[in-house]
Amino acid sequence: MDFFYLYTAMASAFALAMASALALRTRPAVANWLAHGLSAIGSLLALAGAAFVFSAGPQGFSLSGGTLFGPVAVRADYLSAFFLGVIGAVGAAASVYAVAYSREYYGRRLGSMAALYAAFLLSMLVVVTVSHVVAFIVAWELMTVASFLLVAHEREKASSSRAAYVYFVMTHIGTAFIMAAFLLLVPPSGSMAFADLKAPAGWLRDAAFLCALIGFGTKAGIIPLHVWLPEAHPAAPTHVSAVMSGVMIKTAIYGMARFYLEFLGTGPVWWGAAVLAAAALSSVLGVLYALMQHDVKRLLAYHSVENIGIIMLGMGGGLVFASAGLPGLAGLAWAAALFHVLNHAIFKSLLFMGAGAVLQTTHTRDIEHLGGLIRFMPYTAAFFLAGAVAISGLPPLNGFASEWLTFQALFALPAALAGLTGKLMAAVLVSLLGLTGALAAACFVKVFAMIFLAKPRSEHAAAAKEASGLMLAPMGFLAALCLVLGVLPAPLLGLLTRTVAPFLGEAPAATLAAGDWYAVGFKAAATTGTMSPAALVALLLAGAAVAAAGYRLYGRAGRTEGETWTCGIVPNARMEYTATGFSDPIRRAFRAILLPKPDVVTEDGHRYFGRRMVFHVKITYVFTELIYRPASRGTVALAHFMKRLQTGSVQLYVGYIMAVTIAVLVWSTRW
Amino acid sequence: MMQLVAGLAQAALVAALAPLVAGLIKTAKARLQSRRGPGILQPYYDLAKFLGKDSVVSPTTSWLFAVAPSVYFAAALGAAALSPVLAPLASGLGMGLADLFMLLYLFALGRFFLALASLDAGSSFGGMGGSREMFIAVLAEPAILLALLAVALPAKSTGLTAMAASAAGAKWALSEVFAAGAFFIVLLAETGRIPVDNPDTHLELTMVHEGMILEYSGRPLGLIHWAVAIKQLVMITLFAVFFLPGAPFSWPPLAQAAVLAVKVAATALALAAAETATNKMRLFRVPAFMTVSGVLALLALVAR
Repeated sequence: MDFFYLYTAMASAFALAMASALALRTRPAVANWLAHGLSAIGSLLALAGAAFVFSAGPQGFSLSGGTLFGPVAVRADYLSAFFLGVIGAVGAAASVYAVAYSREYYGRRLGSMAALYAAFLLSMLVVVTVSHVVAFIVAWELMTVASFLLVAHEREKASSSRAAYVYFVMTHIGTAFIMAAFLLLVPPSGSMAFADLKAPAGWLRDAAFLCALIGFGTKAGIIPLHVWLPEAHPAAPTHVSAVMSGVMIKTAIYGMARFYLEFLGTGPVWWGAAVLAAAALSSVLGVLYALMQHDVKRLLAYHSVENIGIIMLGMGGGLVFASAGLPGLAGLAWAAALFHVLNHAIFKSLLFMGAGAVLQTTHTRDIEHLGGLIRFMPYTAAFFLAGAVAISGLPPLNGFASEWLTFQALFALPAALAGLTGKLMAAVLVSLLGLTGALAAACFVKVFAMIFLAKPRSEHAAAAKEASGLMLAPMGFLAALCLVLGVLPAPLLGLLTRTVAPFLGEAPAATLAAGDWYAVGFKAAATTGTMSPAALVALLLAGAAVAAAGYRLYGRAGRTEGETWTCGIVPNARMEYTATGFSDPIRRAFRAILLPKPDVVTEDGHRYFGRRMVFHVKITYVFTELIYRPASRGTVALAHFMKRLQTGSVQLYVGYIMAVTIAVLVWSTRW
Repeated sequence: MMQLVAGLAQAALVAALAPLVAGLIKTAKARLQSRRGPGILQPYYDLAKFLGKDSVVSPTTSWLFAVAPSVYFAAALGAAALSPVLAPLASGLGMGLADLFMLLYLFALGRFFLALASLDAGSSFGGMGGSREMFIAVLAEPAILLALLAVALPAKSTGLTAMAASAAGAKWALSEVFAAGAFFIVLLAETGRIPVDNPDTHLELTMVHEGMILEYSGRPLGLIHWAVAIKQLVMITLFAVFFLPGAPFSWPPLAQAAVLAVKVAATALALAAAETATNKMRLFRVPAFMTVSGVLALLALVAR
């Protein structure tokens, strides 16, 4: 019963936040503090709820006795609790950040923004806890509408309203598939409560699998269903971008986990193979497209596509292992996926907050116009660096820990698939994940260096100021989480194995054994990987100590300042390496995929002696060109064709009705 | 704790011997090119000199520029602690934690920070070096994983000790030759050797690694050079342990150490020979070169 009170308190906090934001919309300062403060409290209560479930076991209570669709209940098992915790942690940080960030929106519909933000957070929390088909769809749609309105918040801008429109269309295609997936489950179970849902037999089960993959995949942003994501995430206010990119797309992972772990049961191997294929495509292409971006928020959005791919590599591995009857390894793979869910939520929202802090002071999202900010914003720079190292999957931060688990899961694929298939799949997927990591590292070298290092490239950048303490505190909190989860992942992995164990029949904790408090290892025939992030940190510290000791004991400490040697010219910011130049080799190496179209514009005269030359590269987005553009063109053409039927002549319309009536009569009498 | 101490001891050993191997390669290369060349101990003298000198630092740089050499060095030392040098001698000697992905990602960590530092001073030379280094890393990372998976998959473990044990007991067959070829190509790229990079110069348009560290001088430069030598020795050791026919674990430790030393020296000489026999290739032909490595590694997997 305690959980009921926690849940009610959480929901009331968000409801109060909405009400106060709307009621006090004429007094933005008060509304800002009150609404976002209450949102932060609500998020913390969600976190408390998650902790409660993990300590006291699964919880649940009935919301209503009987509706048209049967009784609606809230159920929080470990899976729900895990996502509750993820949303709570990021939501709390983002809400505190929002208090400072939203000051920019005073007089720009702050009231509605804050109310929608609270509704958005609450709807996500309901999505992961409600245990009824119709209630889930309603909560899901509320989440969609709230986020749509937040994306469209700056609707004066053409780009924002277009992004919101694309998001609205795509996400509803997704919702249609999700509804289809649920509707396939309802007839065999005869109930709409999650606990009763059963998989249909035969090909309908495969259809349910595919509908769930497409439906939730649209929200998650897997390629080629990702088109809305790089438009919508940057268009929203930054704290909303952080929540959308860090957490909202994870509700889709929750949906998939519910379907693939609970409702559908163990499937054929091709389910796993299909998920792995989509995952590999998303991770590699997502990071490649990210590398080509210069708009920092768009770039981060593309990295979400990449990280969803990495998460789904773990999920796909889990499906393959489950169908091969290896619950232990399936648990390992699912645990890797869920661990990356949490890690990505943390470092992606951290990076968005850092980008927002930069955006707020410099008013530009184009990294080609930034530079040197490490001097003016030392804390933001340090926290952003932590996020950059984490998202690149480098030790000792959390990104490495979950990618390492994913590596181990993929490496064990030959145990599930005998012969050459398994070996080749393992080899190709492991090396693709390695490629993804290397590309992400290249991308974040570019991002961090262009924003924070060298000399400012514009007056805006030179006038930058450090963000306020209310923005720095949540960033610091998230950066600290990156370090803690990276160095000591063992306790969290214990929770994760408990989360997935009930679905897989066997306790995967036996496989994912923490040898010591500081090490992570497995006890399974197929794989014997062991990793110790803590020992790694000790080694790194020892190495650094050796370097420092060498400095002290040997040689002179002399340090002279002098400008960089540039052939006798005093260097200035225009001589610095640009983001375009930095990513050029990779753009060329992957030109078969990216299809870059360079374009040089010279002003005043000759091609080589113009007064000013501008170099642009346009990337071709293959999926937009191949799928979406033809589809939209076809729809418009069809509409034009259909328009011919609509002449405006009433006689003709009556004729249509006559014709249809006669046809129906003829058909119904069957001659 | 025992494991940590053993790892540190191994790191110290590798760090102490790394300049010697670098000197061996330099001398051998000079002889192959009919030059007298420096003595084999020259890298030690160079290090001593670099570490005793003042450094000149651009006022544009931030704390990152100052920290990066230490991170790079620490990552190289950490990798040296994890690498399977002593594994054949005593499998319990701290190598239980050594994992393939940890080793490779430590190198990636060092590279990340050095590439950041290359862009910190704001000169285009450094940026060019950093951009190219990350580019080559992007190409080499999948290739190196594929090549090492050819060893790890039969061993059914990514633990470096288990891989070394499996490789030491493996029969020398066609698939081993393919795998060795695949890793040797990656070795050339990762140690910055001639078809991919030129370790001896930075004042030409082919510069990669040396361009990246152009801004450094004095003690930080010495530290970076040392770390590069350590990384080189670790990579050579990986090649010698995993891909060259060797002594089974049952042999006495001293004999194994001698065999390993011979294998490392032979690999170093092979690197010098490869560098003498080839030309620097255009940067944009490197992808094809790395593809050759990847295909060889896949063939090794199929042939097994």
